[in-house]
Amino acid sequence: MAELRRLLPGPNSLHHGWHEKPLSFGLDALDSHLPEGGLACGALHEIVPATQAALPAAFGFLVALLARRSSPSLAAFAKSGADDIVHSFSLPPRVRKPVLFIVPAYGWSRCGHLPGRIFGHGLNSLGFDPSRAILVETAHRKETLWALVEALRSGTPRAVAGAIDRLDLKTSQKLHLAAMDAGLPLLLLRPSQTLESSAAATRWRVGTAPAARDRFGLYAHPRWRLQLERCRNGRPGEWVVEYDHVTHRFSLVAALADHSLSRGSGASSLKQAARS
Amino acid sequence: MNQAAENAGLAIGDSLADARAKAGMLQVGAEDSGAGDAALCRLALWATRYTPTASSWNEENGADGFFLDIEGAAHLFGGEESLMADLAGRLNRFELPARLAVADTPGMAWALSRFHAGSPFILPSGCEAAALARMPIAALRLSPETRTVLRRLGFKSVGALMDTPRAPLAARFAADLLKRLDQALGRVEEPLVPIVAPPVYHSVHYALEPIVTQQAIVARACRLMQNLTHVLVRDGVGARALKLSLYRVDGAVKTFGIGLTLPTRSVSHVARLIDLKLDALAAMQDTGFGFEAIGLAVTRAEPMSGRQTELHPSRAAEDDVEIECCAALIDSLQQRLGVHRVRKFKPVPSHSPERAETLPPIEDMAALAWPQPDRARPLFLLPHAEPTEVTALVPDGPPRRFSWRGVTYDIAGAQGPERIAAEWWLNHRQHCDLAPTRDYYLVEDGKGRRFWLYREGLYGRETAAARWFVHGLFA
Repeated sequence: MAELRRLLPGPNSLHHGWHEKPLSFGLDALDSHLPEGGLACGALHEIVPATQAALPAAFGFLVALLARRSSPSLAAFAKSGADDIVHSFSLPPRVRKPVLFIVPAYGWSRCGHLPGRIFGHGLNSLGFDPSRAILVETAHRKETLWALVEALRSGTPRAVAGAIDRLDLKTSQKLHLAAMDAGLPLLLLRPSQTLESSAAATRWRVGTAPAARDRFGLYAHPRWRLQLERCRNGRPGEWVVEYDHVTHRFSLVAALADHSLSRGSGASSLKQAARS
Repeated sequence: MNQAAENAGLAIGDSLADARAKAGMLQVGAEDSGAGDAALCRLALWATRYTPTASSWNEENGADGFFLDIEGAAHLFGGEESLMADLAGRLNRFELPARLAVADTPGMAWALSRFHAGSPFILPSGCEAAALARMPIAALRLSPETRTVLRRLGFKSVGALMDTPRAPLAARFAADLLKRLDQALGRVEEPLVPIVAPPVYHSVHYALEPIVTQQAIVARACRLMQNLTHVLVRDGVGARALKLSLYRVDGAVKTFGIGLTLPTRSVSHVARLIDLKLDALAAMQDTGFGFEAIGLAVTRAEPMSGRQTELHPSRAAEDDVEIECCAALIDSLQQRLGVHRVRKFKPVPSHSPERAETLPPIEDMAALAWPQPDRARPLFLLPHAEPTEVTALVPDGPPRRFSWRGVTYDIAGAQGPERIAAEWWLNHRQHCDLAPTRDYYLVEDGKGRRFWLYREGLYGRETAAARWFVHGLFA
């Protein structure tokens, strides 16, 4: 009987059974908060800047997730220690799957353009290897949607990232299903006024926070104020995280490290940190 | 000249007054040589349905016709006679009275088309000398001066010229007389310059009835690709670039180029790319009365090793499949969105941010090596650095406050300067002044927004009043 029970698929394995492990943040506070123990791989995730001015921060968070996603050995190391790391280093390096950035060349109708062109050296300084990136520029929203679905259907990329302005419920369901079939994470950057409901598994609102400085006073690691606004089967939450581009790890901003966060809304991150 | 003009007795070379006298109702207009050339070029393109090598006549050939190299293609139409009949019939339907001739050499065919009485005329192999002997001197494509001199010397036909010893002719005339003679007789090769690059492999399908739907075109193209696959496998190559030609019933030809990231022989992949290409160009909006023939050509082939199918797929084989899938995805995106829309980041060894990277379209699957990041670089680079008003404590110190796009930012912290000077070797070549040196600062405002500012010009040396610019945004 126990044998049979073991063979039965688990409650979540209907769609995700053959999929990869969810993408962990390497940070227990966030991972344990999310229902799957990380960002589900075969799902649509929305990333929204808190204000229009925070768009680079939101895109930075997206790139950080992609960087984490494309460095399996480090992610494994951060997630579950020695076993995985032996496993991932004993095998020869696999083909480097690309990551697609599908961005509109036409600008967003409601929130202006992307602030500039994506700078490869900037991706590089966030720990994402630009040689893995394929930049796809689309002329209108129909093309964007087509390219997103095409990229997901092919199942080839490591992840798909995109930027799109309007997205109705039905289209988002379609995208979510495509991501689920492919078992690939689809990260969508949305304009800051996004309010309509969508089928996304999570929606993150990203705000800016003063960056961490090293002991020489140089800007070392970016920090973002993350707000988990919507989360299917989960609770919303709020954190201030710091991202290390060398190890691809997120960490909670320590309470004593930066006096600027003890002012104002930084208190909520302390609460979160204390709770976890 | 058309039939009506011939009936009226007009001749090429008449003066306008003579022509008016012969035909009173004559209307005179300026010659549009460009339109004539374009029409001839279109017709030559249409004629590639018979053979891939069509070559328009240049100025010295009279520029009013084209050569078709039908060697190896005639049997597909049931021989030279039926090819000629088919061609003549179609040209008649376009109401283009044409003079056609087949011969072993281009020079001979040219002479026959001009000076032989029967229009579709096929010269049997080996009869060049006899046929040419009866032709007038003009059949040799000579310059007017040479022709005049020959006429003065009493040469009326090519036969007379052929009987004359060669040495005096070579001494008396420029080289082109003997060259033309030898070309017509096949003693000297005459290369043809095709109007479109001849494909490596070529396959054409002639529909029984005009095709009007996209599905039908894709299905036919699929069959053509199957034909090509056998040849590609035999030669151990794959297609890197394909050309699809659609021949419309009314003579117009549409060609579509399809580039591939990796050499391929996959029929389904090519069919899908053609489908996407037709989608993207909305090619089916202008079908006219339909397409009567479809040609698929491999314009670039590259060696492609056959893959062994293994019972236990190895890691390397899996990786190959993965690379192929990736190439397939890039191909479809490029066909649907345009080649220049699917790009990769390529580093350029330069410190100047504008020049530090390029975004070329993806052409192959080679991975580029990016250097380790050593300096903070913004995630977004503004297309053009935007001027900004900056307040600084000391003229060459870090900024304290700046306003950009109508918002004023108080700077909480600044990191810098990082001095980037213009590349003198580039500017030197253009003989213009060096661009001013830039001092870059990474600044952060109170809310944590980070910008990349620079001050242009060194105080005292390059400028008296430095200007500030915003150049990038950090995550």
